[in-house]
Amino acid sequence: MTDLISIPLVAFPLIASMILLAFVSNGNARMRARLVGPVRMACLVFSLLMLVLTTGMFFRYFGDVTWMDIGFNEYEFEHKYTWVESLGINWAVGLDALSFPMVWLTTFLLPVTIIATWNEKHGATYFPLLLMMGGALIGVFVSLDLFMFYVFWELTLIPMFFLILKWGGKDRKYASQKFFIYTFTASVVMLLGLITLYFLQDPYSLASSGTMTGRSFSIPELIDNARANNIGDNWYLGAQMQKILFVMLMIGFLVKLPAVPFHTWLPDAHVQAPTGGSMLLAGVMLKMGAYGMFRLPISLFPHALYHFQLALMIIGMVSLVWGAIVCLGQTNLKKMVAYSSVSHMGVILIGIATMQPMGWAAALFMMFAHGIISPMLFAVCGAFKHHYHSMEIGAMRGMAKHSPWLATSMMFAWMASLGLPLLAGFVAEIMMLIALWKMISVDGWSIWWMVGPALVLALTAAYYLWSMQRTIFEGGEDTQPPASMKGHAIPDISNSEKFAMLILALFTIIFGVLPWIALDMMDDWTIQAFEGLIIPLLKGGA
Amino acid sequence: MSTVQNVEPFGDGFIAALCPELIIFAGLLALIIIPNIGKGTFRIPGTQTRVMWLFGGERFKITSNPKMPAWIATITLGAAFVQTILSFQDGVDRTAIVTESGTQLLLVNGFSRVFEMIFFGALTLAAFASMNRLEVKGIGPKLSTDDLYNNRRQADFYILMLTCGLGMSVVALAQDLFVLFIGLELASFSTYVLVAFYKESKVGTEAGMKYFIVGSVASGVGLYGLSMLYLWAGSLQFDVLAAQFVINGTDPLPLIGIGFVLVGFGFKVSAAPFHFAAPDAYAGASSPVAGILATASKAMGIIGLIRMLLIVASPEASEDGTVWLTLLGIISLVTMTWGNIAALGSTNPKRMLAYSSVAHAGYMLAAITAIGAWNWDDSLAGEPGEAAVAVLTAVIFHLVVLVAFKLGAFLVLSVLESDGDASRLSSLGGLAKREPFLAVAMFIFMISLAGVPPLAGFVSKLLVIMGIVKVAIGQMGAEIMAGGDYGLADVHWVWWLALAMVINSAISMFYYLRVGVVMFFEEPEEGRTGPLPAGWQVRFAILACLMATLFMGVASDQLLEICEVAAKSLNYSWN
Repeated sequence: MTDLISIPLVAFPLIASMILLAFVSNGNARMRARLVGPVRMACLVFSLLMLVLTTGMFFRYFGDVTWMDIGFNEYEFEHKYTWVESLGINWAVGLDALSFPMVWLTTFLLPVTIIATWNEKHGATYFPLLLMMGGALIGVFVSLDLFMFYVFWELTLIPMFFLILKWGGKDRKYASQKFFIYTFTASVVMLLGLITLYFLQDPYSLASSGTMTGRSFSIPELIDNARANNIGDNWYLGAQMQKILFVMLMIGFLVKLPAVPFHTWLPDAHVQAPTGGSMLLAGVMLKMGAYGMFRLPISLFPHALYHFQLALMIIGMVSLVWGAIVCLGQTNLKKMVAYSSVSHMGVILIGIATMQPMGWAAALFMMFAHGIISPMLFAVCGAFKHHYHSMEIGAMRGMAKHSPWLATSMMFAWMASLGLPLLAGFVAEIMMLIALWKMISVDGWSIWWMVGPALVLALTAAYYLWSMQRTIFEGGEDTQPPASMKGHAIPDISNSEKFAMLILALFTIIFGVLPWIALDMMDDWTIQAFEGLIIPLLKGGA
Repeated sequence: MSTVQNVEPFGDGFIAALCPELIIFAGLLALIIIPNIGKGTFRIPGTQTRVMWLFGGERFKITSNPKMPAWIATITLGAAFVQTILSFQDGVDRTAIVTESGTQLLLVNGFSRVFEMIFFGALTLAAFASMNRLEVKGIGPKLSTDDLYNNRRQADFYILMLTCGLGMSVVALAQDLFVLFIGLELASFSTYVLVAFYKESKVGTEAGMKYFIVGSVASGVGLYGLSMLYLWAGSLQFDVLAAQFVINGTDPLPLIGIGFVLVGFGFKVSAAPFHFAAPDAYAGASSPVAGILATASKAMGIIGLIRMLLIVASPEASEDGTVWLTLLGIISLVTMTWGNIAALGSTNPKRMLAYSSVAHAGYMLAAITAIGAWNWDDSLAGEPGEAAVAVLTAVIFHLVVLVAFKLGAFLVLSVLESDGDASRLSSLGGLAKREPFLAVAMFIFMISLAGVPPLAGFVSKLLVIMGIVKVAIGQMGAEIMAGGDYGLADVHWVWWLALAMVINSAISMFYYLRVGVVMFFEEPEEGRTGPLPAGWQVRFAILACLMATLFMGVASDQLLEICEVAAKSLNYSWN
């Protein structure tokens, strides 16, 4: 089978965006202004082609893959090319039910983001950067080689750094550097963990071992090796090493997720980032953290996962509650949405920490649902800023009257994020709650663990409804446009923004009403993973 | 591996073995002679007849061309560089240059070749880029004496570059501590003058003085150590010293001697606490020269360290652990941390790069420390040298690619310097608007220095960390697979050096990124908005550096092989 991933989904967007950037930066300002249209159209067409490809993969048009039947640690569309032979580095790509939803999400969000920010300034360099971002993100999700994974993991930082730095708000310099340094620090610790893991292998025991080092970077082979050794009380790499490596890898992923207390880069980055940057950052980039957890530490070190279950649960609960409480105090609309992301990422961590198949599936579905809802939240924030020149909650009241489209989109997005039934977010949250109940009833945890989520349900409703009330409604007949408008007429959102919002809303409904479209494969992956990872631990122990 | 082939000076195979050095020597002669060729005449004594002898007098147009010396130097160095590269193609064999009594003086093998490649590569780029740097007056009747002097200085500058290259390659070839020191001094004295070459500016003179005084003190201490070693062993041959070290290496005399010699090399690699002159020297020297100090000159110091630590005081020689292990570990930790923290606070981009160079020295010392620890694990003894080769390969690879991005960064500063000044961070302001190519190149050099994938700097840092971790873990993998339970306490402590390295890279990210922010998002300084001075040579050199930085990041396989050959040929008992 031809390689449908390496070139069309990874190399092509990266190379195309670099060529576009090189071409554009050659000319002067006038030429760049003239190039905006064609460049934007090229980026849109490229990203739509990628979307067609991934959607076709889903509908079995390209490659007859039944996403439900892939076993744990088995991959479809797998391809492998030697990169650095002496070190055992390969260019290895593949998809399974864990990574495919994320890849589809990326290809889905790219054109939507381009459409939503159709009129962004300096478009000639902006849109290629988005495309580059997409290529790097897909690269993370399809990598089946630790080295390649790390390369793409870091590569995502560069376009995002520039997106924040060039198109960001007032404090963009601070925010972009903080973002870069925070996540870079965490990922170099992760890198050291990966290298330590690499050298802890038995030399020449794996098929794709390097000729010089005798060790392999191959993720599937490492997972197989780990599974063969994680049986009963036998810990792969020994108990101490497994715990150390688990912590080192988790540091990288928790900061990216982000979980409290490593979350402080996120509000800064989000508030300063341009709308398109925020959409991709919240929609896909945060999910890299959750994806990485599933792909590496959880798959390799289930023993350590059990060992740190309580710690993860506490971090998840704290993120969930702390994020919600901080939201309540925000006056900045975008900052509130950013903290709500922290809160939702807490749901993912809790889902993982329940150690229930349902909880893991909830985490996977949350990754996906939040990936559709949060871009809409940020698109609304961007439109709000664009039209009202302010981000303050309460700066504009009675928006429903002035800009009905924006008000409707906002209401929809807010409701989706707070977990209204029949919308995508609800499915994930209810699954998480069920898993938590199961944990309490089956595994005998204290019932007090329910307090956090219950409290947050109320808090989330409170901050969302409150902010809605103060922006959309209130005011009545005598509503005055905010002072920041300086007497200009208040326009409604543009057609391209309307279109993007509609698409996002449509998919929120589709995945809320028919969650099985994505949930089936996630469920399947979780069950396979449980059979492959967790059951051997319990069986052997008995 | 073939056995060593002994060649006497000017015997069979002498020219083939020392071809790059002979090319440099020929270039030196050409640089001295060619600018003096003119319409000079010579009167035959006792007659009125004057004979043209083409030396002195009014120069020809071509020989008085002020760019002539630069071209000669570039072509010479470039030819030497190509020659070294070519020598890799048909496999490097060992050739030793011996005296009549059979003592090895110089040894040409993979190790020396790869370092020659580094030296000549860096010097070629620097010489080529300097073509735009030195003030050059056109050739015409209106030239004043000052102009003529300025043009004469061209020849001096490039002669010094060539002698520098010659000295460095002698260091790479030397099999005798004394020969090594001669090469080191030849290169050092050339760099002292090169640093102070801008005698018109106060900074240049001050930098040159400082660098000279500190450098000569360091060399003096080194020479003193040398004399102690001679007293102890009766010879300065590396193999004799190494053999002596196996017998009575724990005597105080050789240890003190080696320690003193290491001071000399520590200065060259700017390891703490001998790094104080480096920032001043880098800031005062012209940027291409500073680039040479940070790449070629540092590689030369590393050779000295490798020879002293891995050949003479070799880890294999000491039964109960390597003597210098703890000390070097501490020095490396202090060096990398000090360098990074000092760089955080410096607002002069050249000083910043100098401190970053100190930090990189710390990384390389950490790697050498790891080699010292390679036989800590008894089971490692079964595969002698495998770990050592891995780490050494990483160090050599790092030194090679450092030429691309470190020198490249200095060359970008060099363009700014000819625009007026590059001593403040704000001098870089608005570079993206003034010349996008330079800004993008500088940004890539910066993040490559910080170690961001997929650039060459990432691969080299990754290899160094991998080497250290490999040594620290040893055979633990196999033991763990057999059911053992080990924690970080069981891993050799050099693992923590790897941790210090990654944390330091994260710290360094801060000041490297700052350069990018200034270039892309700050306005240019007052009155510096126009386009930058022209000069295709320096831009071509920057482009070459940029290409190498990108290419070595994604396709490092071939270079890695060369480096591995080089690492293996340092000590043949490792094979």
